Amino acid sequence: MERRPALLAALLAASLVVTTLAAPALVSARPAYEIPVADVDDGATLDTADGEEWTQAPSAGVPLSSSGAAVPGGDESTVDEVRVASARTDERLYLRVSWADPTRDTAAGDVRQFADAVAVQVPVNESARPPIAMGSTDNRVNVWYWNGLNVSQELLAGGPGTTTVLDDSDLESNATYRDGRWYVVLSRPLTDSSDDRTTFSTERDVDVAVAVWNGSSMERSGAKATSEWYYLALGPGPEGPPYETILWLVAGLGMVFTTLVTIEGIRRTRGE
Amino acid sequence: MSQTDDGTDVRLADGIDHQVAMVMDLNKCIGCQTCTIACKTNWTDGGGREYMYWNNVETKPGSGYPRDWEEMGGGWDEDGEERTPGELQDKEAYGRAWEFNHEQVMYEGSDEPLRPMEQPDWGPNFDEDEGAGEYPNSYYFYLPRICNHCTHPSCVEACPRSALYKREEDGIVLVDQDRCRGYRYCVEGCPYKKVYYNAMKKTSEKCIFCYPRIEGEGPEGEVLPPSCAEDCPPQLRLVGYLDDEEGPIHKLVNEHEVAVRLHPEYRTEPNVYYIPPFAPPQHSESGESIESERIPRNYLEELFGPDVHEALNTIERERAKVERGEESEVMELLTTTDTTDQYRLEVFD
Ligand code: SF4
Ligand code: SF4
Repeated sequence: MERRPALLAALLAASLVVTTLAAPALVSARPAYEIPVADVDDGATLDTADGEEWTQAPSAGVPLSSSGAAVPGGDESTVDEVRVASARTDERLYLRVSWADPTRDTAAGDVRQFADAVAVQVPVNESARPPIAMGSTDNRVNVWYWNGLNVSQELLAGGPGTTTVLDDSDLESNATYRDGRWYVVLSRPLTDSSDDRTTFSTERDVDVAVAVWNGSSMERSGAKATSEWYYLALGPGPEGPPYETILWLVAGLGMVFTTLVTIEGIRRTRGE
Repeated sequence: MSQTDDGTDVRLADGIDHQVAMVMDLNKCIGCQTCTIACKTNWTDGGGREYMYWNNVETKPGSGYPRDWEEMGGGWDEDGEERTPGELQDKEAYGRAWEFNHEQVMYEGSDEPLRPMEQPDWGPNFDEDEGAGEYPNSYYFYLPRICNHCTHPSCVEACPRSALYKREEDGIVLVDQDRCRGYRYCVEGCPYKKVYYNAMKKTSEKCIFCYPRIEGEGPEGEVLPPSCAEDCPPQLRLVGYLDDEEGPIHKLVNEHEVAVRLHPEYRTEPNVYYIPPFAPPQHSESGESIESERIPRNYLEELFGPDVHEALNTIERERAKVERGEESEVMELLTTTDTTDQYRLEVFD
């Protein structure tokens, strides 16, 4: 009988290790609202949506809903999810946004014709989270915009209706439409000397939000599908979040302790 | 709001010092389209503007330009408070800018007549002179239209970027080309369909009331009336400020109330006014004149609202006065050939 409690304890310890490792992955791969940013040495193939290096960047599903803006159609958007992947090199930040859109709208040649479009907004001052609807006067947003006419623009906004095009932008874009999905890559140097543009430090996470317009539903301006604030995990934190591991470890240790105490109690009762 | 001496109200939009305005006498329009061409060659001569007529002349009754614009909504609700969203018409409704066989006829010696390359099926004033009514009592008249530079413009309100604005100094409504991002809410929102989308520039454009001309930006530095007015052969347009108490506009609109607004029910409060059309009375089968108006009053009321009745009655009375050899200020204003009376644009300099 001497060996059985020891065996039990060993089994418990083993299952504890397994649980600690596996359970966080089963419960959630990463915290909600996180968009992981892959650290890539050479960004040579990140420029296009099909680039080899994108296989290293996990993507996050980001739900969208109507912006509710006070324009006709402001609550009738049609796209309800985008997938966002991100990667960075030492110099550049890349975002790849993809979404299902059965109609490829790349013209605006008729009065009734509008092009598909996507925009990503980040705070100009990344230490404070701006209002989601295009920021505010004292808390502005830097917007990266692309549309189906192959126009890409870097914009500055301080509230709805204030969007202004920033000249001399280093924003680059590339888009692919395949199997009813748009894949749009937007990239820009991490740093920018202008006060109107975000400078990305790799020391901290940066808030990000996404908007998508479906041209064939005449979406434009505030008639668009928007996300909540997410964040680009640019900061130094571990890939997997530490607190979950700690919680599981504490819980497991508690279980082992309780079991051992119980076994010891039984042994004593039996007078062993 | 400003009050004039005789107590008639002149409504100016908030923050607007003066309001330019135009009165067009529909009884004089011969449908020659000189105004259309004057405007086109000045402002909309190419570059994505092929289909645009900031000034157009349509035949009424008729579908107009763009086709059926009166059924597309826009403007304000009955109380003039809530905007009613309008429709965005497609380019076909304006009529295509047809390609002609100029090359073949002029340079390649073709014997074909000069004509559009494809069979046209719609265009500005395509239903010219069709009108309505049965022979011998059919009727029609021409309706020249420009942007009305409204006092309560729904195009301005519709723009989420405030790219459209009403100029403080004269109430002219303009599109800021740098702010416009081609959303076209203004095109939807204007019930008169007087904002156009330039697919080449990706911005909206509209009638500017020839502001460089009225500002004296021309070669001689002279103040000139808008081109559509100056070039009109029968000189049916009077131009001035609504709040110029000595001017013909104020007198015709506010004092005598003979100039009325087109579709006042849209509630944008247009600043282009019309002297409603008269036509000869109806004829009987045997060709005799009968005591019945040719253009049905209810049709004119549909176009110009209930005020058209009083306007027509007043003009009729004033005409009778002149026929009796009496003086009539209304008739003098409407028949003057003195351009200093027709165009009073320097009063508020
Ligand atoms: S006519 Fe239309 S475009 Fe012109 S001011 Fe009025 S609402 Fe605006
Ligand atoms: S130029 Fe004068 S007469 Fe000719 S169509 Fe224009 S408004 Fe009518």
